[in-house]
Amino acid sequence: MPKLIIDQRSIEVPAGTKVIAAAEKLGIMIPRFCYHPGLGSFGACRMCAVKFLEGPVKGIEMSCMEDARDGMVVSTTDPEAMEFRQYVIEWLMMHHPLDCPVCDEGGHCLLQDETVSGGHGRRRYLGHKRTYHDQYLGVFVQHEMNRCIHCWRCRNFYQGFAGYRDYGAMQIGNRMYFGRYEDGPLESPFAGNIIDLCPTGVLTDKPCRFVGRRWDFERAPSLCLHCSLGCNTTGSARYRQMWRQEGRFNEMVNGYFICDRGRYGFAYESHPERPRRARVAGLEVAWAEAIQTAAEKLSQIAATAGPAAVACLGSARSSLETQATLQRFCRALGWSEPRYFSVPSQERQVKAAIARLEAPLAVSLREIETADFVLVVGADPVNEAPMLALALRQAWLKGGAVAVLDPRPVFLPFEFEHLPLAPGDLEAALEALTAGAGGTDLLAGGSPWPLLPKIAALGRRLTQTQRPVIVCGTGIVRESTPGLAADLVLRLREAGLNAGLFYLLPGANAFGAGLLSPAGEGLTPLMEDLETGAVKALMVVENDPFWDYPDRGRLVRALDKLELLVALDYLPSPTVQRADIVFPTLTLFERNHSSFVNQEGRLQLAPPVHLGGMPMAQISPEKHPPRTFLSHIPGGEPRTPGEILAELAAAMPAPVTLPGDDLWDWLSRKNPVFANIVSLFESPPGARLIPEAVPAGTFSPAAAPAAAERPPDYLELLLVDLIFGTEELASYSKHIQPAEEPPRLRMHPADAAKLRLSSGDRVALRLLGGTLEVDLQVAENMAPGVLVLPRHRQLNWRLAPDYRVMVAYGDIVKVEA
Amino acid sequence: MQAEIAVAEHPREQAINIMYAVQGHYGYLPDEGLLEAAELLDLTPLELEELATFYDFIYRRPVGKYVIHVCDGVVCWMFHENSVFEYLCQKLGVCAGEISADGLFTVLPTACIGFCDHAPAMLVNGRLYGPLTPLLIDEILEKLKTEYCDLVVCK
Ligand code: SF4
Ligand code: SF4
Ligand code: FES
Ligand code: FES
Repeated sequence: MPKLIIDQRSIEVPAGTKVIAAAEKLGIMIPRFCYHPGLGSFGACRMCAVKFLEGPVKGIEMSCMEDARDGMVVSTTDPEAMEFRQYVIEWLMMHHPLDCPVCDEGGHCLLQDETVSGGHGRRRYLGHKRTYHDQYLGVFVQHEMNRCIHCWRCRNFYQGFAGYRDYGAMQIGNRMYFGRYEDGPLESPFAGNIIDLCPTGVLTDKPCRFVGRRWDFERAPSLCLHCSLGCNTTGSARYRQMWRQEGRFNEMVNGYFICDRGRYGFAYESHPERPRRARVAGLEVAWAEAIQTAAEKLSQIAATAGPAAVACLGSARSSLETQATLQRFCRALGWSEPRYFSVPSQERQVKAAIARLEAPLAVSLREIETADFVLVVGADPVNEAPMLALALRQAWLKGGAVAVLDPRPVFLPFEFEHLPLAPGDLEAALEALTAGAGGTDLLAGGSPWPLLPKIAALGRRLTQTQRPVIVCGTGIVRESTPGLAADLVLRLREAGLNAGLFYLLPGANAFGAGLLSPAGEGLTPLMEDLETGAVKALMVVENDPFWDYPDRGRLVRALDKLELLVALDYLPSPTVQRADIVFPTLTLFERNHSSFVNQEGRLQLAPPVHLGGMPMAQISPEKHPPRTFLSHIPGGEPRTPGEILAELAAAMPAPVTLPGDDLWDWLSRKNPVFANIVSLFESPPGARLIPEAVPAGTFSPAAAPAAAERPPDYLELLLVDLIFGTEELASYSKHIQPAEEPPRLRMHPADAAKLRLSSGDRVALRLLGGTLEVDLQVAENMAPGVLVLPRHRQLNWRLAPDYRVMVAYGDIVKVEA
Repeated sequence: MQAEIAVAEHPREQAINIMYAVQGHYGYLPDEGLLEAAELLDLTPLELEELATFYDFIYRRPVGKYVIHVCDGVVCWMFHENSVFEYLCQKLGVCAGEISADGLFTVLPTACIGFCDHAPAMLVNGRLYGPLTPLLIDEILEKLKTEYCDLVVCK
């Protein structure tokens, strides 16, 4: 490890560290524009010049281009270096407009800071400034090209890091232009990162434009809840409303960046119809009255029909605090255990996955970047867990290979191998790979399966790697698939490879929900209990079965049977709309600290960004704080579900006090994985809630249940995710909605030919619950025998008994215009 | 063109050749030509535009029959290159990049053309001229006006 001296202080850094990064470790921020720790060095701006006094390099050099080496003595404050940087900044400012007061970047602008700190205070250039035409880049990113200093960060991220190809650098020299070939929305769902990266005001956050200066905002670290990866963000709020999310560094999860769903999905928080007052029978009532009514009605039903007649439904999007408090509440009242999933197959999949995730196997998102082979099984990264796609790309850029086994027309921003297998075949493929890794010659038996040679070839490549990772989704796979993926990892580890396992889960805190759900088969599916009348009162805590339950008709009939529906939520969901009693809750941005467990078991903490309350814009059209003084926050009635549950318990005719001991103590008594939680304040990357030990040598692969054969003349309908339009929270965000693509049904050309259908046709899909009309897109790169339909906000897809159903050829017909 | 692309290991290797071919056809590289070339090369329009606008000898706007590239290099500067450029513009009644009224000429700067020993120098449709004087320039222009030249604007 090279040891060097920077500004008279010595430091030892890993080989390959650049001098600029070594200085940063000492707390010395060398001025820079093109260098970014997440992107690397490019030497484009010349701003990071320092003087090398001793050692292998001498004189003024760029600190972002020089590797730290033994014996280097570096001065960042040498007069010669300072003068050099002063000229660079003067030169960069030559064409830059002098109008920071009207620029949205002003106040958090690197160029502004470095102009001042660089000592360029007087303008000498009196000539004309270069000007450009700006482009329309879509709803997220604002373009103001005159402010560009040609640092290349945006292009280096957009094309280099993320691999999208519609934004770049055109022209040369002074005329260089960063933009698209022509006006139009940026195609990359990671485009928002160029806003964070641009060191000047060229690329700014459109929804947050001219809302405030940095110091006007309340800012705090936060988390993204729009998929299970749990990327870290920084939230900005002003006037009781969230305005902006930026990527926040987490060395184990997202690195520096986030996706656009995570960046702009937050606006559900200020949805104009968000419940803000307690309601009974559709009427807003005093909070205490609603608590009283709910407590009375719930206890009455429990008293007459027995405690099991009251059920609670939590969710995979609630914080762990909420999930756990709900369970404690149910136990304290003697009601049945809460469920956390309205779709039973989802619960089983999540439990199957987390049961197999153990510390030695689990890899973090960042660790995927160093894998030399990644096998993605039953997952569509860009649409299900967007940042995974970028992690895979980093692995590929470092020379790793990526293979995807998935029936969907998967797109990734790099070259990868795609075997479009139907969901049933995924398990057979995993089994074959596991057998192959154990030394079985797959081709010996002369199996009739035509894909086997390809899978055998894949298996051979897999076993020749050193650090492979198996990524397994839980969206479209069978319930036993996550277990088979874990088997493969164990087998590879037995064969001496350092294999890792990475699951995707449905929901930001699906892991927490899975940990708290009863083991094994669990409870009777909620829907059955509702239908048989076993449950008469239902309390839904931050869940909306109308969003994810696949059979809308059945759901409505079941809910109709209820005597009482109580909803606690911050979304104006259909469940909230039809509930008899509504308690508004807080989002993760408001007032309370909340923790979430991501798909690798990492517990992360989100402190509040602001105190909550009705956004100023919604009560004062002039967007000015009211001029009267109040003792409370207007619209500040929502509380955390934990607080509401405690109030309810205390208001019961026979009052119950929720156990006073610490929630975390209670959790660690319940499940040992909670015992080793260190303070999250002291552990920025979070702590993992997964068991340490893998029982060595006890591995015997489970036999996959024979895949239910698809009857001939049937297609398997897969209900899938899209980056925009299918995720619950983001679908309530007014920023995301205009970016949604219209939903389309996709099918393989072979099936389309049999059905005499072609791309662009309007197709009617007859399902059990009714008929659905949607445009068809024929896609080559998908499995035959399946229909791929997004669970899109704009689509009435909830017509099937389950997430996976068979559709007969006869039930797919063309709608004549 | 397709054949040329087919022999390349990566289609993008052929980007410059293809752009020249399209330019040879139209006299410059129009938007339709760029879009078509991008499709043949399996590049996005943006990616090809990045390349096209990087090079001095690919013209994204219509140019005259003769494109006069006046050297912008250091040596030519020492030999009063700027006055050569200005002289040409004045003489032809154009600014940089414009087409002269007779449709024959466009004047553009370019990087060193390797004719430093004859500085100040210029390049016209693949032919080098230098050392230039106003008198010589007048002569060259006269000759070009009367001489036949095919439309291949760069060689
Ligand atoms: S647009 Fe911003 S990030 Fe891109 S080159 Fe210009 S200054 Fe740099
Ligand atoms: S990848 Fe997932 S967790 Fe990360 S920012 Fe996007 S939606 Fe949020
Ligand atoms: S930061 Fe080193 S040259 Fe730009
Ligand atoms: S500098 Fe003009 S030809 Fe080299």
